Amino acid sequence: MGNIEGRYFVAGSSASQDARFELVDGLAMIRLADGSQTYSGEVALVSDRLGNVVRKITLYDGSLFETPDNNGVDELFDVHKSFFNRLTHIESSVKLVAILAVVTMLVLFGAYRYGLPILARVAANVTPTSVLSLMDAGARETVDRVIFSKTKLDDKKRAVISVLFEDLKKQSGQIDPPLRLLFRDGGILGANAIALPGGTVIITDQLVGKAKSDDEIAGVLGHEIGHVELRHSLRQIYRVLGISFMVTIIGGDSSQLVEDVIAQASALENLSYSRKFETESDYRSAELMVGLGRDPYAFVELLKRITLDKGEKSDTGWLATHPGTFDRMATVKKYVNSLKP
Amino acid sequence: MNDHEFKFTGNAKEYFGIWIVNLLLSIVTIGIYTAWAKVRRVRYFYANTWLDKHNFEYHARPVSILIGRIIVVGALLVYNLLINLTPLAAVLLIPYIIILPWIINKAIRFNARVTSYRNIRFNFAGTYWRAFLVFVIMPMVAIISFGILGPVASRLGQNYIGNNLKYGTAKFSTDAPLGKLYSNWGASIGFFVVATLGFGIIGAIVMAVDTELGFIEQLIDNPDIEQGLKQIYAMSITGILVAYIAAIFSYLFYKAGVRNVAYNATVLEGGHRLVSTVSRWKYVWILITNLLAALATIGLLRPWAAIRSWRYLADNTSLKAASDLTEFVEQKTPEGTAAGAEFLDIEGIDFGL
Repeated sequence: MGNIEGRYFVAGSSASQDARFELVDGLAMIRLADGSQTYSGEVALVSDRLGNVVRKITLYDGSLFETPDNNGVDELFDVHKSFFNRLTHIESSVKLVAILAVVTMLVLFGAYRYGLPILARVAANVTPTSVLSLMDAGARETVDRVIFSKTKLDDKKRAVISVLFEDLKKQSGQIDPPLRLLFRDGGILGANAIALPGGTVIITDQLVGKAKSDDEIAGVLGHEIGHVELRHSLRQIYRVLGISFMVTIIGGDSSQLVEDVIAQASALENLSYSRKFETESDYRSAELMVGLGRDPYAFVELLKRITLDKGEKSDTGWLATHPGTFDRMATVKKYVNSLKP
Repeated sequence: MNDHEFKFTGNAKEYFGIWIVNLLLSIVTIGIYTAWAKVRRVRYFYANTWLDKHNFEYHARPVSILIGRIIVVGALLVYNLLINLTPLAAVLLIPYIIILPWIINKAIRFNARVTSYRNIRFNFAGTYWRAFLVFVIMPMVAIISFGILGPVASRLGQNYIGNNLKYGTAKFSTDAPLGKLYSNWGASIGFFVVATLGFGIIGAIVMAVDTELGFIEQLIDNPDIEQGLKQIYAMSITGILVAYIAAIFSYLFYKAGVRNVAYNATVLEGGHRLVSTVSRWKYVWILITNLLAALATIGLLRPWAAIRSWRYLADNTSLKAASDLTEFVEQKTPEGTAAGAEFLDIEGIDFGL
């Protein structure tokens, strides 16, 4: 007992000879086929078990003994219970592998569906406000350069809307990051309002022009305040980072083709996530409006008017970033009803 | 001359077990195990690849891979955050381009040094400016010339890798003939035309059916466009999609051809010639069906697909050896750090086939 048949390479040479490996008092002994002994000394490294891959035993002088006799090596070096031997045992059992496949699918689904959004929210909440302000400044610079131009609204109108904004601000209790309102001509964006991560809310002249009442404008502002409070843009960034991290873990062995397809699929999935954010902000707007004693549905009316003018459909498409206005009205109504005691 | 075929002895059943355990442990350790997973995965493929009754071996230590990955993930994280903070971060592209050739050299070297065959390690010794020409300048030239100079870029790239690769103290040399690269390029253009026509017909059928479903209508969710224009829009979007998919497949077709040309022009010191006989059509077919199989089974057939394409490449590679291959001598060199190799791995940059 205690010897294995295999092949021996002298250090630094590609020539091999048939040989026998013995372990005597913890020392390796190599005996060539003709019976001569060529090496006796310590073992430097025994390669881990992996399927039925040939095992390589590296010796201290850099010479190498290799053998397909996996069981012989396990027995000789007493590595039956080592981590990789246990793994090999699991990996070669059809039953265990089937169970692990199901477990892996469930874990993956859970991590993607629940783990990521929770982690993204936690990460967004602990991100310091100074980072948000930096992002805010960067984004403001970009939109001012690319989309918006100076507002053409008169001072009086702006003053009225600013007061609305101050009321909402107080009602929301949002201080960090601080909220502030900017007026801009919408350019290609037309009637719209946007919230930047650091608390800047921008409302376009065109949107103000379309509004028939203060409540309509206030509702939209409340919606944007909701985006800021709930840190939606940060959550989106962290989620995308998380997804690419997950893809890197899973896609270890995948080809370029597979990675391309996953990227497209997650872009599509992001849209549904963005619709979820819109609904959250709609709820926040409704809360603020009810709190101020204003009409919580007014802003949906305004949105309906804008989309109708544009000729968009009012139902929710699967490629849409926002829910359709019909859906929005229904969910906001349901939510406002649930607010009532 | 002894003809030695490369042979692959891995099988999908055995690899599936290794793959699923790798995946599960990688997830539950939030990615830390990926370093061990990678070593087990690559080692499985290398060690099951045989040439003249001897197999290859992958020696990378998981801890070096892990350290490399931590460095790369950290750098990418900082870069992504900066990009979100200020548009000015795009300026970082310049230092990135400057260090890219250095990273690529380090990566190829690490991968070569952790690979062995018959107790002898491979090695790679590239130079910065040559790598700058091959990996920064030439891709740009290829793009600016609308692909016309692509074969020139391929020739320089293949020669650069081939001429700086060593097996122990023995040097490889590659001189990929430009004429053959251009005829492969011509065939790839032909393939693109055929693929575009083929997918175009599928696209037309999908569009005809889609008038009922209205997917494309939603795709162009722009109210400012009239109905008649929408039809033209839908057609051009389908056209672009068809051309995009056909272009990806044509690129794979082209790369398989380049592999043949480059391998067949590569000699290992001592007069040992590499031979590659990959069929471009068959290779693209294997990749497409692999992708479809993996998608249809939410990834579960991915291990089978990986084994299938590796086996196909091994089966179509051989070595015309001028001797019994026992004369090679090791050249002692440290392995170096894995960060460069991990960067290319994580970014999905791959020079081999």
